[in-house]
Amino acid sequence: MQNLVYIYDGSFEGLLTIVFDVYIENVFPQVIVSEEKYIPNILDTTKIIETNFEKSKRIFNGIVKNISYDALYHSYYAFLSNDENKEINIVQYLVYGFHAGPKINTMLSVNFVANVHYMRKKMLHEAHRLKGLLRFQEVNKNLFYASIHPDNNVIETVGHHFIRRLPTQNFIIHDKNRNILFLYNTKDYCIVPAENFNIPQITDEEKKYQKLWKSFFETIAIKERKNSKLQMQFMPKKYWQDLVEKNV
Amino acid sequence: MEIVDKLKILADSAKYDASCSSSGSNRGNTKGGIGNGDVSGICHSWGADGRCISLLKILMSNCCVYDCKYCINRCTNTVPRATFTPREIADLTIQFYKRNYIEGLFLSSAVIKNPDYTMEKLYETILILRKEYKFNGYIHVKTIPGCSQELIDKLGTLVDRTSINIELPSEASLKLLAPEKEKAGILSPMNYIAKNISISKQEKSIHKPKFVPAGQTTQLMVGATPETDLKIMKLSESLYTKLKLKRVYYSAYVSINEDSLLPALKEPPLLRENRLYQADWLLRFYNFTMDELLDETHPNFNPLLDPKCDWALRHLEQFPVEINRADYHTLLRVPGIGVTSAKRIITARRAFNLKFDDLKKLRVVLKRARYFITCNGKYFDQIQHFSETFISENLLFLERLSSENQNSFEQISLFTNFNKDLNNPHSLLPTKEDKVKALTGSL
Ligand code: SF4
Repeated sequence: MQNLVYIYDGSFEGLLTIVFDVYIENVFPQVIVSEEKYIPNILDTTKIIETNFEKSKRIFNGIVKNISYDALYHSYYAFLSNDENKEINIVQYLVYGFHAGPKINTMLSVNFVANVHYMRKKMLHEAHRLKGLLRFQEVNKNLFYASIHPDNNVIETVGHHFIRRLPTQNFIIHDKNRNILFLYNTKDYCIVPAENFNIPQITDEEKKYQKLWKSFFETIAIKERKNSKLQMQFMPKKYWQDLVEKNV
Repeated sequence: MEIVDKLKILADSAKYDASCSSSGSNRGNTKGGIGNGDVSGICHSWGADGRCISLLKILMSNCCVYDCKYCINRCTNTVPRATFTPREIADLTIQFYKRNYIEGLFLSSAVIKNPDYTMEKLYETILILRKEYKFNGYIHVKTIPGCSQELIDKLGTLVDRTSINIELPSEASLKLLAPEKEKAGILSPMNYIAKNISISKQEKSIHKPKFVPAGQTTQLMVGATPETDLKIMKLSESLYTKLKLKRVYYSAYVSINEDSLLPALKEPPLLRENRLYQADWLLRFYNFTMDELLDETHPNFNPLLDPKCDWALRHLEQFPVEINRADYHTLLRVPGIGVTSAKRIITARRAFNLKFDDLKKLRVVLKRARYFITCNGKYFDQIQHFSETFISENLLFLERLSSENQNSFEQISLFTNFNKDLNNPHSLLPTKEDKVKALTGSL
């Protein structure tokens, strides 16, 4: 049996284009994968899907109109997760959603519905975690830089959080796993690839506050209750590399 | 004295306060201001003891005129003393906030000179933050028992949360170990604050600043005095129902001072503290009453089983529960089924009848629950017996299994119990607190 594989450009619009084609042609691929991640295999029948903005826009509006806003959020957030099977699950979820309507989100015992909900949750969970764990360092007067290494693509969600919170502060968030930047200059923001980007040096003032924070961090724990396991459970090691308090 | 030295002394003194929650504030940012609240709270780090760090938790001063026996800062101790100026605290808060170390400030203080003087200084600090720096992040300030109502009123409209720690769960213990506080009166300011909060809640005008919008909390110390679990939890229950407290924290007593009036504990009673948090959870979100959980013949929780399992085993007549029919509150009483699972079950069964396999898809953990439920009248897999001995043996076996993987029972039972966020209420609550709120409308 040959595998029918759809290859797309990795964008959300690209994925919605696939939803359009699948809905119209009523043919489901076995696998959907971005061109970046695709590893050629002779057993595959591949079809390259060109992103089509007309089609993706119709699907986008169709989701809101015929399924629900919730379904749009569910699929977009699931799309931002790092789950390997996200594409096929989202496409099944949406195509089926067009038949089922808004009640699709109550069908939690259906595999792809449960999966999409779970992926969304996973992505939002990590975004929430990073809203707390992200550390800004002052690299210039009123310019702050933060590096993160998230599993899921959380930069947009996290960036918006900080625009609301620190609107008068210029900042750069650097997703080092994807090598992309979220730039904000107190008016506008954009997300760009981090090409030829040099990580800036921190200021002296910054060193002072890092030292203060580390002292606080060490002092606030109760020695008699030491519990490294619990600390690690809440704050997994993979996040430590970007934490001021965990680095010298 | 350098700021860093002050910080060390005054954070060290504040660390025994369990509260570090930043939930309950939906304060928005203002024009040209800095910061906002996040209703479900955000944890920024976790200390070496595994407790969440959400706020800059410090004392303004540890120069105390009182002599509470259990406290490191009692006036009769010789310890390094320090006092922050209001400006120092405000600057530190802002600089930490800009770097995203914290959600805001939790400011407490020893009693400097007298309660009013101390409150004035706290007020001055918060005024700088809110008015001068336009800081809209989270602020939790202790109320000093014995201060004037006028100061409570002024501070209440600037902060998100306030608390007075009762610490000692009975009048007798208070009299013995914290005589000055007992005289100043702890419950009367709590009453006063509760009254003001409820008046402010009914206020329609959006221009009037809300009074302590994220509510008041308190802390009870566990293990320093002879009160039973029943006595402690009865107190909590009435604090929740009568004073509408947002949270009661429990803190396992750590022996700091040698005093003939205090027990010399080798280790803080962490397991007991955990049981109290579990029971507290059952009161607040699961509609249990204390009378169901403990009575005079069983005044303390079972160290081997969590309070919900323990209760279920004593009430097998209420089980098994049919997953496809039981209402929300009945589902919540099943060991192993929490708020999220119960909610998912209710949603999913509207679309389709549920079987055990479906429960797995819903990510309902069946480890404990399977002994207490049926799906379409059928028990889980090989379970045929529905008897107390069979179930309790299995549940105890589960507990033992998990504790064998760890060095000590104490440690494991603390954190792998039916709800992993019990012990650290502020940490996982974020999303959960929200969901619970949607369901019960009670927060
Ligand atoms: S009032 Fe009592 S508990 Fe508070 S700092 Fe003074 S001695 Fe310690």
